[in-house]
Amino acid sequence: MFDFLIQGFGVALSPLNLGLAFLGALLGTLFGALPGIGPINGIAILMPLAYTLGLPAESALILLAGIYTGAEYGGRMSSILLNVPGDAGAVMTTLDGHPLAKQGLAGPALGLSAVSSFVGATIAILGLTLFAPLLAEVAVMFGPAEFFALMVFAFASMSVMMGKDPIKTAIGAVLGVLIGTVGVDSGTGVLRYTFGMAELYDGIDFVVMIIGLFAISEILLMLEHANRKDSSGDIPPLGRVFVTLKEVLFCKGAMLRSGLIGFIIGVLPGTGASVAGAVSYTTEKRLSDKEGTFGNGDMRGLAAPESANNAAAAGSFVPMLTLGIPGSGTTAVLLGALMLYNITPGPMMFSERPEVAGGLIASLYIGNLVLLALNLPLAGVFARVLTIPRWVLVPGIAILAFVGVYQLHSDLTAIYLMLVIGVFGYLLRKLGFSLAPVILGYVLGGLMEQNLRRALSISGGEVEILWRSGISLGLWIAAAALLVLPWLLPRLVKARLGRA
Amino acid sequence: MKLAADRVLGLCLIGLAAFVAVQAARLHVPFSYDPVGPKAFPLILAILLAALSLVLVLKPGSNGHWPDRSLAVKLLAVLAALLVYALLFTRLGFIATSLLTTVALARAFAAPWGKALLTGVLMAVGSYYVFTAGLGISLPSGDWLRPLL
Repeated sequence: MFDFLIQGFGVALSPLNLGLAFLGALLGTLFGALPGIGPINGIAILMPLAYTLGLPAESALILLAGIYTGAEYGGRMSSILLNVPGDAGAVMTTLDGHPLAKQGLAGPALGLSAVSSFVGATIAILGLTLFAPLLAEVAVMFGPAEFFALMVFAFASMSVMMGKDPIKTAIGAVLGVLIGTVGVDSGTGVLRYTFGMAELYDGIDFVVMIIGLFAISEILLMLEHANRKDSSGDIPPLGRVFVTLKEVLFCKGAMLRSGLIGFIIGVLPGTGASVAGAVSYTTEKRLSDKEGTFGNGDMRGLAAPESANNAAAAGSFVPMLTLGIPGSGTTAVLLGALMLYNITPGPMMFSERPEVAGGLIASLYIGNLVLLALNLPLAGVFARVLTIPRWVLVPGIAILAFVGVYQLHSDLTAIYLMLVIGVFGYLLRKLGFSLAPVILGYVLGGLMEQNLRRALSISGGEVEILWRSGISLGLWIAAAALLVLPWLLPRLVKARLGRA
Repeated sequence: MKLAADRVLGLCLIGLAAFVAVQAARLHVPFSYDPVGPKAFPLILAILLAALSLVLVLKPGSNGHWPDRSLAVKLLAVLAALLVYALLFTRLGFIATSLLTTVALARAFAAPWGKALLTGVLMAVGSYYVFTAGLGISLPSGDWLRPLL
């Protein structure tokens, strides 16, 4: 049953892949630590370079996954030291992390968050190893109708869980799907929404899309943050760099519980590290906050979200590798990266491309160890990254974005398109949209349409096929429940209270 | 009705949905075995988008913080710098345009002139060699610069 893992370690332990896992961990931590650049932006900016290196699929994925997990480590730096979350997953880390830093315990706080991240990620990677092959075996039975229902469920779960405003999350996803329809229709060869532009026949390129959406819009947003004077930018002294065993043991309950919570939330399609961090923090506060120390620098309040967000990051690989449905915005980007290699992740991947699935999982084990080894002693070095001024950072991002897009086809149209998408992304973010649904819609939309059309071809146009099997009917009901319950439950409770 | 950002957005999106639907309806499919065809999916999306946008028009959220005039000018300046970068990228070559853009962006992010120029030179020349020699990416070199290098 674990043949894939043994084979995977064979792949991941090759000198090239070991080096890439290390490089990914290092770059990811650096990018995560940079203010304003989270895992998704880090991958968006560095992905074109991974292609330029001409790496095989599994090696590219190992590098990108290393960047992803590394950035989850790096995101805590600015949360703890500056009270500015590096990305959405690290919001909860500020609550107890920054007070600890103000008490002169910045060093131990960084150390503890590294250990918690390691524990959370380990729990989730073990879970991934155990459950992914099982889920893949179930998913082999999925036909096009089941996949279509699964994607409807994924979008429903995303609308409810991701972002503050469900309507805007849903609109973002629809816009993403619409952007994905541009280009030649694979079923009939008809051109859709190309407006006679030959550059659009192949659709809007994935790299152009994510660099525009994330890197360019980030440059514009940074300009606003630079003008707002909300943080002094002074890094508090780190103090002693190592966390003591006693402190780690004090938090062991929080770490283990939150790791489990994070994994489960990460597995749910469409919900990522930010939800995991919030749920684990509130759970832990309810369970262990007897003296009211949470929020004032309680180590457990730091350990919980840190363990959970890394667990969620690893957990979101489960649906991506087994069903081809990404669990988070970042795994959506990784999925798109795989599709550029003509690999469509799904239930067959464990049997057909075990070197990719197994290699990735094995490299997550290795990367996790590398990250712990890097982050404990080098916390002080990574913290220096925070002092890089924006006027160095922004031109750097711009150059990477331009080169990344230009080297695709040596074509300027792609660069103009990237700028247009960048402005679009900026406006969406200003209007309170989160970009993860847009990218999920863009990546999943094509698959969703294909599966819908394949299902209806099989049935000869009868719509019933979409909910005929037990699995698809269950998924439709689950999707409907997800959409209706958050709206219905409070009303029911209110009605009941009103009567009593 | 109050004019809120979400209302304007909602109306624009309804317009977009109508456009998507009209374009989809006008698609001409010569021959197909596929009972659904390329029209249905965009049409469903257009209906969904219109319905969701209608909710936005009827129940707009808070207006958020929009840039004031001086910030808007800066944002447009940064965009203009990126656009000029794209326009001149192949004509003047990577090094020259990256130098210009880096200096312009660094200035927009409040770097002093000296530091901006130094960053520009280091970044433009350094990244050129990293990308071309290190990573094997071919970049427009700008032939007019060749004799100087």
